[in-house]
Amino acid sequence: MKTKMKTSRGILGLVMAGCVIGLALPPWVTAEVSDADFNALKDTVQKLGEQVQALQQSNIVQQQTHEQDTQQIQQLKQKLAETQQIATNAEQKSIEASMTQPMPRQPIDEATVNHNFMMLGDAEFQYAKLAGQHGAFLQADFAPIFLYRGGDNILFEAGFDTTLQNNAPNSSGYTTTFNLSFAQLDYVINDYMTFAGGELLLPLGTYSERGAGWLNKIPDDPLAVDALLPGSGLGAELRGGIPVGNAGKSLNYEVYVVNGPGSADGTGNAEALDLGGNVGVRSDGVTANLHGHPSGGARLGVFLPFKPHYDLELGISGQSGEWDDAGNHLYTAGVFDAALHLGPSFEAKGEYILTRYGSDDLGTHSQQGWWVQAGYKLAGLDLELPVINNLEIMGRYDSLHDLYDPNNNAFDFKTQRYTVGYVYYFTNTLLFEGDYEFVSSNDPSQADQLIFQLSLGF
Amino acid sequence: MNESKPLKALVQTTFAAVAAIAMIGGLASTLCSAEPTAGAPPPKTDSAPASTNSVAVKAPALEAAPPVFKPQLTGAELYSMHCNRCHPERYPTERTAAQWKTIMLHMQVRANIPGDQARLILQYLQDNSGR
Repeated sequence: MKTKMKTSRGILGLVMAGCVIGLALPPWVTAEVSDADFNALKDTVQKLGEQVQALQQSNIVQQQTHEQDTQQIQQLKQKLAETQQIATNAEQKSIEASMTQPMPRQPIDEATVNHNFMMLGDAEFQYAKLAGQHGAFLQADFAPIFLYRGGDNILFEAGFDTTLQNNAPNSSGYTTTFNLSFAQLDYVINDYMTFAGGELLLPLGTYSERGAGWLNKIPDDPLAVDALLPGSGLGAELRGGIPVGNAGKSLNYEVYVVNGPGSADGTGNAEALDLGGNVGVRSDGVTANLHGHPSGGARLGVFLPFKPHYDLELGISGQSGEWDDAGNHLYTAGVFDAALHLGPSFEAKGEYILTRYGSDDLGTHSQQGWWVQAGYKLAGLDLELPVINNLEIMGRYDSLHDLYDPNNNAFDFKTQRYTVGYVYYFTNTLLFEGDYEFVSSNDPSQADQLIFQLSLGF
Repeated sequence: MNESKPLKALVQTTFAAVAAIAMIGGLASTLCSAEPTAGAPPPKTDSAPASTNSVAVKAPALEAAPPVFKPQLTGAELYSMHCNRCHPERYPTERTAAQWKTIMLHMQVRANIPGDQARLILQYLQDNSGR
């Protein structure tokens, strides 16, 4: 009985174990795969394998292409760098070439080249206060210069001076004057010689040709220039400059013949000397300069530039001729002039003047005077101050000896004058000048004076 | 008035003018000869020595030092040198090229500027002019 029970228990156990295994195993283990499915799956796997190989080959080709592209890019970059270097070098060379070669000229409009008439000149007005007098506006001056160029070698130039002058303190009102300062026809014979004829500014020293309103930096003329020398004369002149070497040095000269000084009343008395040298009967009815023999004169100068803005100029000049109607007396003048520039800021110049003339009543007498003037532009100090940089400080010393004294009919006037002042440059041609003149003289017409002047050069 | 005086004065004036011109010319030629010009040809040297019967002795060759020529000044430099003699410098742009031509003729006469220097200054002014 027990054996049967053990056998039954064993069979039951096997049955249960089979059930447990049947429940635990997945169902596909138990599924069956057909051959068709297997073959299809096999084909699919093969195709996938071929595709993978194709992709690998494609990738290899792409990698090779990428490497080639990278090489080409590097080559292009290298070529670009070389091209940029070439362009940079070419640009540098062109800049260097442009710096060493002059700028090409632009064509000039022929219509304007033939424009040959011009007006230059200057204009001033002054305020002055004489010692012991009230201050007043002293004068207004308009001095145009007309130029007419007739070709390359011919020039006509004429300068006028129209002045409205306050008569104070000697009398009331104003006086208007209109003068022909110069009017000359110039013919340039060659590079070294020019002929000039007409009313000429006389080259006795350099002031008469370089003293127009805005050119000189002190409103008043030097005493000796006004008192002792004729400023202009009617006649003819040869003048020019001869280069000496290649450094800008030159020799300059003037040789001229003019009517020269005359007699204001026809006599040979000392007080009758008329430096203006008028011809015939003047507008005020005075007969002057009727003698028929002119004065001759010359100037010889040398211009020595060291470099731009640094130069020295020296000159000696003279004139001589009979001045009285009878032709018995000579008027002779000699002038030594000098000018120095040391840089754009410093300038000094001066003249020594010696004259001698004979007369019926006082015999032969000599007069002399000299002046020296210096200026310094404060811009030379490099202070970078706008007002200071536009200022130039001026100073001048004047001396005049043995001037004719009509009251005593003798040559006994002696004057010394010290001038200090400034020039303020609004522009290079608009100048505001202020000066004080300290005078020491036995001439009652001379007195200390304060002057302000506004000058325009155009 | 003595009739011989005009003639005498004329003779005196002529003599003075001739003397002045001679003095100027002499001084100019002296100064010009003292400094060689850039365009001057080099000094001539002896040609090859003629053959002689004498023994040729080799002497050290006299090597002439090369002449030192100063470069030609530019118009700008001449402008700075000459214009500043009498007045503040005027800017080239203040005038047209045609106006500078007339003004430079005036200044050439007034300041006794040699013609070649005046042309260089004019060139500079026209190149930089206010057209």
